Amino acid sequence: MTNTPIINVTDLHKTYGKKGEKQYEALKGINFKMESGEFVGIMGASGSGKTTLLNMLATLDKPTSGTVEINGQDVTKLNGNKISDFRAHQIGFIFQDFNLLETLTAYENIALPLSLQGVNRKEIGTAVAQIAQTLSIEDLLDKYPAELSGGQKQRVAAARGIIAKPALLFGDEPTGALDSNSARELLELLKRINYEQLISILLVTHDPFSASYCDRILFIKDGVIGQEIKRDGRSRTEFYQEILEQLGTFEQ
Amino acid sequence: MLMKLTMANIKSHLRDYIVLLTGLVMSSAIFYMFANLATNEALIKSDLNFKFASVVFIFGLILLAIITLVYVMYANQFLLNMRQHDYGLFMMLGAKKSRVSQLLVLETMVIGLGATVIGIIIGILATGGLSGWLLGNLGLTIHHFNPVYPKAILVTLALFLALFFIAAMLNLQRMIKTPVLKLLKQADTVDRVNFKPVRLVVQAILGIGLLAVGYWAMDSITTLQLLSVPIAIVTITIGSYLIFRAVILLILNLIKKTNWATKGLNDFTISQIMFRVRDYTKILTITSLLFAMALGAITVGAGFRRDIPLIANNTSAYTLAINDPDATQTKQLKQLTDANQITYQQKFADNKVYYLQSELQKNPFKEAIPSNKPQAKAHYRNVSVDKLTQNQQYEFAMLSGKKQTLKAQFLSTGEFSPIKAPVQRVILVKVKSIPANYQVLNKLNKSQNSKHPSAMPEITFGSFNTYLLSISIFGGLEFVGYFLGIAFLAMLASCLMFKILAGATQDQIRYRMLAKIGTRRSLLKRSIDSEILVLFALPGALGIVDVLFGLKLFKPLMADPYNHIGWIIAGFGVIYLGYYLLTIWLYQMLVLPAKNKH
Repeated sequence: MTNTPIINVTDLHKTYGKKGEKQYEALKGINFKMESGEFVGIMGASGSGKTTLLNMLATLDKPTSGTVEINGQDVTKLNGNKISDFRAHQIGFIFQDFNLLETLTAYENIALPLSLQGVNRKEIGTAVAQIAQTLSIEDLLDKYPAELSGGQKQRVAAARGIIAKPALLFGDEPTGALDSNSARELLELLKRINYEQLISILLVTHDPFSASYCDRILFIKDGVIGQEIKRDGRSRTEFYQEILEQLGTFEQ
Repeated sequence: MLMKLTMANIKSHLRDYIVLLTGLVMSSAIFYMFANLATNEALIKSDLNFKFASVVFIFGLILLAIITLVYVMYANQFLLNMRQHDYGLFMMLGAKKSRVSQLLVLETMVIGLGATVIGIIIGILATGGLSGWLLGNLGLTIHHFNPVYPKAILVTLALFLALFFIAAMLNLQRMIKTPVLKLLKQADTVDRVNFKPVRLVVQAILGIGLLAVGYWAMDSITTLQLLSVPIAIVTITIGSYLIFRAVILLILNLIKKTNWATKGLNDFTISQIMFRVRDYTKILTITSLLFAMALGAITVGAGFRRDIPLIANNTSAYTLAINDPDATQTKQLKQLTDANQITYQQKFADNKVYYLQSELQKNPFKEAIPSNKPQAKAHYRNVSVDKLTQNQQYEFAMLSGKKQTLKAQFLSTGEFSPIKAPVQRVILVKVKSIPANYQVLNKLNKSQNSKHPSAMPEITFGSFNTYLLSISIFGGLEFVGYFLGIAFLAMLASCLMFKILAGATQDQIRYRMLAKIGTRRSLLKRSIDSEILVLFALPGALGIVDVLFGLKLFKPLMADPYNHIGWIIAGFGVIYLGYYLLTIWLYQMLVLPAKNKH
């Protein structure tokens, strides 16, 4: 384990709209660090800036000013192919709406990141089989996304997110489209991935139940981080209660 | 209120509507262009001296109507997909189903009528422009041809309105059957590819078999006569459809099992094509048929173009002859390129024409060796002075430039000089290429004809005369070939481009997602390039094979339909490649995520 933080954000600003037009500042100076191996949640209401922040972290968008270092590398300076390669090697994604390719089977969807890296067929086969076992989706591999339930799709998406062994996994409301049982299963799974595979996870959510699986939660409101709470070894139920209380006061 | 919502929808889907309308306008314009020729009986009877012409045109019209039907049905499905969310919304807001149904039929018919009317106007303009350009370039005159032809306008309008009405009814049925909630939720699920190997293999064998029957039918034109055309149309259409449906899927499935498939985006690209090909079966079939028809028509047009000078060269060893050229004619004679000239001196006296024997010995008069293949390369032989003296060579007799036939006599210089008559000259011209010198030859021919009319009106010495006669016979066919070839080529491109671009919305999501998980832009581009390349290449390849067999149909009509076919295919390929590049450019603009800005 190195001492470099997995994420180091300094004075991050993002303003939408061109100069001279009506401008809107979505992020107003965000600072935070995330240590390697952490499971961090970012909470906030709609319009608080949490999705904007995630887009900056995940190199999907460029900040107006400030820096984002991931694994010691300033990603705001990356361009073109370097961004693509960075995403392919360093980060994984799970989205609310799964974002699986419906023309590919579950197996092919999971294998895609490895294919992109030019891994040979045999190794891909082994890796997919292994991850499918971890996530209990061995029976689903030959199916197309249209034949899977929401929970199954999200597990396939999670498998795709971690197959390339990224340092960091981003979850954008991954339980948003799931029923409570599937959501619970997925969160347990993420927790296990975090623990067993040592993949750092950053979860963006407005759901207190999902957030209660994290080690630490940052509350964002109107473009700034307002509050931070840590689990510190408490039980999940206790942590859940604190999150609810925090939300009660924070959103006032 | 409903009107306002409709307008808002058109605004928000403007790009899709433009694609839809462009496609429909193109298809009605081209249908009109074809109908203009096909329904023009006077043109077919008098300008096309080809006994099967009207039958061939009727088959063509039926084939084009089937193609248009598929096209209109497809366009309407596209329209309903765009509109169904709105219709669902109207119903959710309390609009009665009957009201919404009225709206749907009205919208479909308005779009149909609008597109057809614009299409006919463009068709008239295109017919005028294209025919003017072609006639000018080919040096042809066609009577009974007019860009504005009321019968064709009526046929086009009636067919398209009927098709749109059928399409509206089908859409209506589909919409009424669908629950409101489903209308509101965009149906973006993709069905699984039903990969049933046994069924696919049966379909593949059937497809190849039908195609073989079609090719056999075209090959046997001499025994089957006209029957070979309908047999070929039916079997080749169904055969191509089955091939695209089954054979391609089987091949792709084999490729998918190789190591190559797991490299980069290859797997994704193959899967995209597999899904596409199924969805595109009809359009690929149509494209291959249009490709074949366009290529075939242009090849045949070019074939006639090439045959005419050959026929002409077989009738005479000389292009034309000028008696006593004046200053203008002398100047024009100098303008001819690659020309050989022979001059004979003449004296006229006592109803006889005298020549210098020495001149004919030096430059013997030549005639074409008669051949039973008028389009073969011409061969010439010398004619003896004896034969010429007996006036057995009708061509030589025309060299006098007089209406009556004069007896020719060949004298030595000693005998020639004392004859009391002015020395006159006749110049025999042979040019290498008549089409290259057409303008000058035409002027020379006219002035010679007015100064020295021959016994038969409009008949002059030499192959240029035959050339003019042949053009009036075969020129119509040549014109039709080029005209239809260009029209089909335009329709083909619009069909395939339209269909591919219409799928862009769905693909946009896929490519954005691939970019998110770290696919390089260049890799995405390459995937798009190869996916669309396959969609273009498949019908193109089948189209070329169709043409190679289809040209057998013209064996009875021209010397060698396959002459220069390689060049024509290459030229065609270049234009087709242009369409391909345009399509991928547009497609990448539509589906690829914007480049990261600073």
